[in-house]
Amino acid sequence: MNVFQYFSANSQQILFLTQAHFLYVLICVGIGSAISIVLGLIVSTGEPNPNRFSFDWWATGVREGSLLITAAVLTVPSLALFVLFLPITGLGVTTAIIVLTVYSLYTVLRNTVAGLRSVDRAVLESARGLGYGRIRRLLTIQLPLAWPVILNGIRVTTLISISIAVVGSIVQGPGLGQLLLTGITRIGAANAFPQVLIGTFMCLVVAAVFEIFFAIVQRLTIPRGIRV
Amino acid sequence: MSETENMIVLEAVEKVYPGSTSPAVERLDMAIPRGEIVMLIGPSGCGKTTTLKMMNRLIEPTGGRIILDGDDVTDVNGDQLRRKIGYVIQQGGLFPHYSIADNIGVVPKMLGWDKNRIKERADELLHLVGLEPSTYRDRYPRQLSGGQQQRVGVARALAADPPVMLMDEPFGAIDPITRDRLQDEFLEIQRTVGKTICFVTHDLQEAVKLGDRIAVFGTGGRLAQYDDPDTVLTHPADDFVSDFVGGGAAVRRLSLLELSRLELHPIETDAAAVGNRNGTPVAEVDGSGRPVSWRHLPDRDAATTTLVTVPLSGTVYDAVDVMLDGSASLVAVVDDEGLPQGVLHWNDLVAGLKTRERGA
Amino acid sequence: MTAVDLQPGVPTPSEERKESGGGFLGVIRANYDLLVAPAIVVVGLIVMVAYVGSQTLDTIEERALEPANVFGQLGQHLLLTAYSTVLVLIIAVPLGIVLSRPGARRIQGGVLALGGFAQALPPFGVLLLLGFWEFGVRSAVIGLTLAALLPVLRNTVVGLQQVDQSLIEAARGMGMSARQTLFSVEIPLAVPVIVAGLRVALVLNVGTATLATYIGAGGLGELVQQALRLNRINLLFVSGAIIAAVALLVDWLAGVAERAIVARSG
Repeated sequence: MNVFQYFSANSQQILFLTQAHFLYVLICVGIGSAISIVLGLIVSTGEPNPNRFSFDWWATGVREGSLLITAAVLTVPSLALFVLFLPITGLGVTTAIIVLTVYSLYTVLRNTVAGLRSVDRAVLESARGLGYGRIRRLLTIQLPLAWPVILNGIRVTTLISISIAVVGSIVQGPGLGQLLLTGITRIGAANAFPQVLIGTFMCLVVAAVFEIFFAIVQRLTIPRGIRV
Repeated sequence: MSETENMIVLEAVEKVYPGSTSPAVERLDMAIPRGEIVMLIGPSGCGKTTTLKMMNRLIEPTGGRIILDGDDVTDVNGDQLRRKIGYVIQQGGLFPHYSIADNIGVVPKMLGWDKNRIKERADELLHLVGLEPSTYRDRYPRQLSGGQQQRVGVARALAADPPVMLMDEPFGAIDPITRDRLQDEFLEIQRTVGKTICFVTHDLQEAVKLGDRIAVFGTGGRLAQYDDPDTVLTHPADDFVSDFVGGGAAVRRLSLLELSRLELHPIETDAAAVGNRNGTPVAEVDGSGRPVSWRHLPDRDAATTTLVTVPLSGTVYDAVDVMLDGSASLVAVVDDEGLPQGVLHWNDLVAGLKTRERGA
Repeated sequence: MTAVDLQPGVPTPSEERKESGGGFLGVIRANYDLLVAPAIVVVGLIVMVAYVGSQTLDTIEERALEPANVFGQLGQHLLLTAYSTVLVLIIAVPLGIVLSRPGARRIQGGVLALGGFAQALPPFGVLLLLGFWEFGVRSAVIGLTLAALLPVLRNTVVGLQQVDQSLIEAARGMGMSARQTLFSVEIPLAVPVIVAGLRVALVLNVGTATLATYIGAGGLGELVQQALRLNRINLLFVSGAIIAAVALLVDWLAGVAERAIVARSG
């Protein structure tokens, strides 16, 4: 049985799993990015101002701390993280979603923090001089200007998540990993190899769909004045 | 009442940064009269920028009071206060993701103006700063040159028609030629809008050219002298100011002297006056009465001396410039139509210039 | 398996703190982020030991957690990681240097874009596909190497690319050949970025090696597989903790080495 025969014989299942994979990544990256951006905005309200000590120290602490911890999480092999959540949340979708979400935090958080900080000091100062308050400045000046960097972080996280999501199938998570796992247990069977090959390859298809999606979002959401 | 005369009054204003023992600005008393341009100048670290930023409370003073148009604003909401004070900084600080019109409309929008009024205002201001509205309104900051961005910065600061403008080295990052033109335009605009302006600069030439008054800051945030430019140049208050103003003071002062304020020597255009005994130079004129060459000069050969002219609206500095350029020892001063009004001799500079009382 | 993206231009938290003071305290202050991983590992292991101590293990679990067994798998794991990382170093760095030469500029952009996209290709799948060719360590090392190749390749190219063009011109202007410029100017200046890429590859390999057990190449993943098969929650928890600890420590050592190398290269 070759790859094409396998594909046409099982197209419905393959497309279902591809779809599930896509949604799985979309949900996790969506939740993770939302958390990261909000956290990034909160810890960035403390601005570099020599006159104020009040708020900055803890904002800086939370910022550095959350960056270091989420970076450490990214170092832990995904299999280990999936397994560590098993005693708490059990086999299945819940564990799979929690772990992938936790994985997606760091890149977006880092890019949010770096993007917000990279905004030209002169622009911020003149905004302040024109009577922009802290929150207004953050939301109408810093966030739009940092958005390309943040969006790129989300894009990179998405690509990474697509490949990590496969491992989630070991703890009975959704998506294309199921093709890989059943394929390898039936090694020697005629359709085992096409199954694993298609499972792996369809990840790239999911990635391509996301890339198109991000190209459109980029086009629609990046302000014209800063588009390159 | 002095509160109506003075737009901004600083009373014993002081700034000590946390962790620093010496003040950045030392108990400063200063009054800025309505409608005048006050230049803050001094070496770097002298507290001139800190002083400026305390006026709109971008930097909070650690002592003293700030009075704006008679109201104590030391403790009012800083953001609300700043919406009523124009602010221009060196790098322009335009919002890169806003179009030029949106940039100008930033403060009016916060103040809740309606859309049409904001749009009209933006066009009006673009026009005022010499940018064609239909060309520039929908562009983005990165599509503009540094000089154009700075004009937009000025327009943005003027948008809500604030009575006061604070400018922090607005022309500091601009090439000298463009800077000169921007300064001229700036004075032109000020003639129209008549704002009270506080302007930080490190360029004495700029301070003398633009300022109605100059505040010279010494190291440690001390106000060393606060006077009109002429006095600062001719009568420095102490050694620090005289060092700061430097040896070029006399030359700089030339640019303060408008030719229209001088007692000029007479000039003749009638050929019959040639050979007169009173030493009045005689010029040959063209059909419309503009001088073209010297017909007679009392003390030298008229044929080998070039006739150079300078407009009456210029300064002595301009006159000297023209004379040096044309290797001439005298210059004909002409009015707007090019008609001769008088003569200025090189010797006058040395002998001392006579000013006349100008009638209203 | 794990992937860390390195974007040039976006500072990571550790990059910004390089200039804080000298002396012992200065070193601590400049590198306090390096204390995080050991702290997590120590706390995690204490929790794990406390947890295991409070549970009564059955014979299967006890046998699986015998030190000889665990350390044997740890040894296999580290060996897989070491082999593949060395291979990545040998293949990707020279390839990256070649790609950064002016002659290869045209395919360079394509390779970099592909490198970004290829992050979505699951190393697990690559590993399993190689399993169809051969079960065992050889396939696993090849799979690991392939999975970690692109980050290093990408960082090598980017690292060389970002070397200040005027420095290269200055070197050429003094009469250095292209080759001399490469070895005495470009590569030394690109070392921090290349080393960062190698660290990413190392972490990736530690992660992917947990999956090597699925093609019979051993490693710590075997503990997990066993626990899942036998449905032993305690064993699952312990094996997850051990793997996490190993990964954090390997990354930590790599981080320390990275700082040392970068500090030396100026």
